[in-house]
Amino acid sequence: MSKKIGVFVCHCGTNISATVDVEKVAEEAKKKNPGVTYTTTHKYMCSDPGQKLLRDKIKEEGLTGIVVAACSPKMHERTFRNAAIKTGLNPYHVEISNIREQCSWVHKDKAVGTTKSIDLVRMMTEKTRKDKSLKPIKVHVTKRALVIGGGIAGIQAALDIADGGNEVILVEREASIGGHMAQLSETFPTLDCSQCIMTPKMVEVAQHENIKLYTWSEIEAVGGYLGNFDIKIRKKARSVDLDLCTGCSSCWQVCPSKKIKSEFDMGLGNRTAIYVPFPQAIPSKPVIDRENCLLFKDARKKNIPPNDSKVCRKCIDACPIAPVKAIDYSQEDEIVEEKVGAIVVATGYRELEDGLYGEYGGGKYKDVITGLQFERLASASGPTDGMIKRPSDGKEPEIIVFIQCVGSRDPSKGCSYCSKTCCMYTAKHTMLYKHKVHHGHAYVFYIDIRCAGKSYEEFAQRAIEEEGATYLRGRVSRVYQKGDKLVVLGADTLTGSVVEIEAEMVVLASAMKAQDDAGEFARKLSIQYDKDMFFSEIHPKLKPVESSSAGIFLAGTCQGPKDIPEAVAQAGAAASKVLALLSSDELEREPVVARVDRQLPPVFSTCIGCFYCQKVCPYSAIEQEDIKARDGSVIKTVARVNEGLCQGCGLCAATCRSKSIELAGFNDEQIYAEINAVEFN
Amino acid sequence: MIEALRKKAEELLRSKTVDVIYGYGEGSTPERTRPVFITKPEDVNKLTWNKYCVYNLTTYLKRQEARKLGKPAIVVKGCDAKTIIVLIKESQIKREDVYILGVTCNGVGEPQATKCKACDIHTPRIYDELIGEKIENKEISFEERYAEIEEYEKLSEKDKWEFWQKQFAKCIKCYACSSICPLCFCDRCIVDKNQPQWIDPSAHPRGNLSWNVTRAYHLAGRCINCEECQRVCPADIPLNLLNKKLAKETEKNFKYRAGYNIDDELAMATYKEDDNQDFIK
Repeated sequence: MSKKIGVFVCHCGTNISATVDVEKVAEEAKKKNPGVTYTTTHKYMCSDPGQKLLRDKIKEEGLTGIVVAACSPKMHERTFRNAAIKTGLNPYHVEISNIREQCSWVHKDKAVGTTKSIDLVRMMTEKTRKDKSLKPIKVHVTKRALVIGGGIAGIQAALDIADGGNEVILVEREASIGGHMAQLSETFPTLDCSQCIMTPKMVEVAQHENIKLYTWSEIEAVGGYLGNFDIKIRKKARSVDLDLCTGCSSCWQVCPSKKIKSEFDMGLGNRTAIYVPFPQAIPSKPVIDRENCLLFKDARKKNIPPNDSKVCRKCIDACPIAPVKAIDYSQEDEIVEEKVGAIVVATGYRELEDGLYGEYGGGKYKDVITGLQFERLASASGPTDGMIKRPSDGKEPEIIVFIQCVGSRDPSKGCSYCSKTCCMYTAKHTMLYKHKVHHGHAYVFYIDIRCAGKSYEEFAQRAIEEEGATYLRGRVSRVYQKGDKLVVLGADTLTGSVVEIEAEMVVLASAMKAQDDAGEFARKLSIQYDKDMFFSEIHPKLKPVESSSAGIFLAGTCQGPKDIPEAVAQAGAAASKVLALLSSDELEREPVVARVDRQLPPVFSTCIGCFYCQKVCPYSAIEQEDIKARDGSVIKTVARVNEGLCQGCGLCAATCRSKSIELAGFNDEQIYAEINAVEFN
Repeated sequence: MIEALRKKAEELLRSKTVDVIYGYGEGSTPERTRPVFITKPEDVNKLTWNKYCVYNLTTYLKRQEARKLGKPAIVVKGCDAKTIIVLIKESQIKREDVYILGVTCNGVGEPQATKCKACDIHTPRIYDELIGEKIENKEISFEERYAEIEEYEKLSEKDKWEFWQKQFAKCIKCYACSSICPLCFCDRCIVDKNQPQWIDPSAHPRGNLSWNVTRAYHLAGRCINCEECQRVCPADIPLNLLNKKLAKETEKNFKYRAGYNIDDELAMATYKEDDNQDFIK
């Protein structure tokens, strides 16, 4: 029985109808396209009445194939296919002809737009005539999640998923979880102490029965697919046995290498070679920095196993654990494997390197510091116990200048975007400064004050009006040293004057940048990233936490600059997506997957086994299969598609020279019919 | 050299290292040679080597009739050896399943074949046994390598189109180009697929165009320019112009020469971050 096809043309308000005569498109479809038995138009096909019309007509007209001429299938293919399911029609008989993005939006001439739309609809009608019913593929779900990154976003996502009753693997590459939030002094707009609200969450992670924590560990490889990811985690050699160690501090108290710049204190304080990054660290157990440890340096120089070096063994001697010491110099990296069903990526950001702004003396003058360095100065647990002191001479700065947008909104330095948090944290910095140095004066150079957020504007105004910070609208051209002062040369564009301030300290509100290895990491996960190397969400509005790979979600600043409340909210959103995914035992996958043909013997398959398909597949979905005779001898080695991994991108089908691969829903016959629909009409 | 070749062949057959030798034998006239398949040690005197050994014996590696004879040793010139590298990279043959008798060569054909004019592989870059004095592989510049298509590249797009229309009109769809090509190894060629029939099999202008263009595209980044397709074409279509042009674009854009280095990743199946992407507008 031949198909009865219904064509539904959408006005999309005026999005389509302004440049396409939709009535004519519908009329022509019925007149000229074989198989079309019903056509209509609707103002908004995706609306409830629009969908009802579709459902009703499928029943009334006995339609067995549907072409909806509307927007991109990425927008509403799912919508219309779901509508078809309700009527009992197999959803893969519903096709979208994109006459919006690919037609009405790109053409101005209505005649041209209409003619092209008629062609596009005819092509899709021809394809629809050859549509076959497809059944969704069912895949098993591993009810565990992986969270990568132990900053506030990762912690929040891990806790939410774990509270939902699923096991979570949390991987952090540093020695402790906590991320940048643990470094902050007080947080805007409430000025509550960052550590006071952060550390309870860190402890909760450590104690949660559903969370398995890997610190000092990195993701080595990610394989598998939605619902069934295979993760390889590299547990870097910590040189300390976490089970034996009690964190008693004996080892780091005796360590002779005391002048190593502390990463946690942004280089303003020192640490030892065996160290705990900060007192509230989780786990509160040390790690040996093998680059700087005397024993490891000696072992490297002499090319001997570290255990054989006798240069310094103070930490192991001091370790009170017996009979087996908690310190183990011979520990090596270990690869552990975990299976998970979903992944949350929360790998965070890094601060723009200060050396990039030579004109501001970044990296050159000791008293020119970055925003994060100021946080450490202002933090009670910081190198100065919360006193604002100049790194050069420990003097309290009486005049301090804050420069906003250092890196941000500056395409010449490679960041065209706004880092979003700096206006607020600079306002906060001026307040913290004023609270600690009562007689001091803070100046702020800004381009715009962007404080959009609940209670944010009020906060910034408070800094200016109540805390007396002087805000100057303009850029700073140069900072140079004069005696023990730093001269800041800038412009005040509101008065049109040049400003010269002799400051005692300068704080740069440095941009938030993507992690250095973001690109490499994204490729490991097969997720997309943008020009600034931040990971891309699949839809900026409607799918803000979904990455381009199914089952991998994004949280926090790895996706773009954001502040704590936003990062936490996004982490919660990602966690809810993960929970929904893990709530069922089986997942249904789109059956739009590739298949390598199989034939009767003696051919078995027209595949010749060149495996170009395997090489081009971005999802590692193609395997080699030996076709064997009864005696077990291999007759032929051919390609085979793993349906669980295949995302239906079609690269393999396009690459195959012998045309041995077809994509379900986009098979050769269909593509051929579409092409011919243009050529011969 | 012939003696060394025969001696080695005899040794390989006697020791049962291989079952068959694919080599060149004397033809019906002195300026012709033909392929011989030697399975018995006493027949090795049928093997020969001279400047008339123009063609590329590796095409027999894809022939079931030849493969049935067992593990081969194959006589290859430097240019032909490139085919074996591509076949290995494309999983068509395992390195250990073929014994390579590499012959050094200063050019073949009378007059000399075009492919020899810009040759930089007088000594094969892959072999198990080298026959003949090693000849230094002198470097040849990119421009020199593709000098033969310079004239063609100067044509305007319109003239190129007219040129090919004229050339392809001569095609009689005998598929000799595909039969001789050592890298056209699909069991079922795209032209044999008739559901749907992507390429019209009969010899009319549209079918001829789609066949010849598809053939060239399927060899892009793979063809090692042995020129066999052009040599056997009964209609004298300059097929290697297309092949060479595609090889030039591949080398220019992806720094890749098919069959040159066994360690190079296949250009058309590999994505590298520093791939030239200027052509994507």
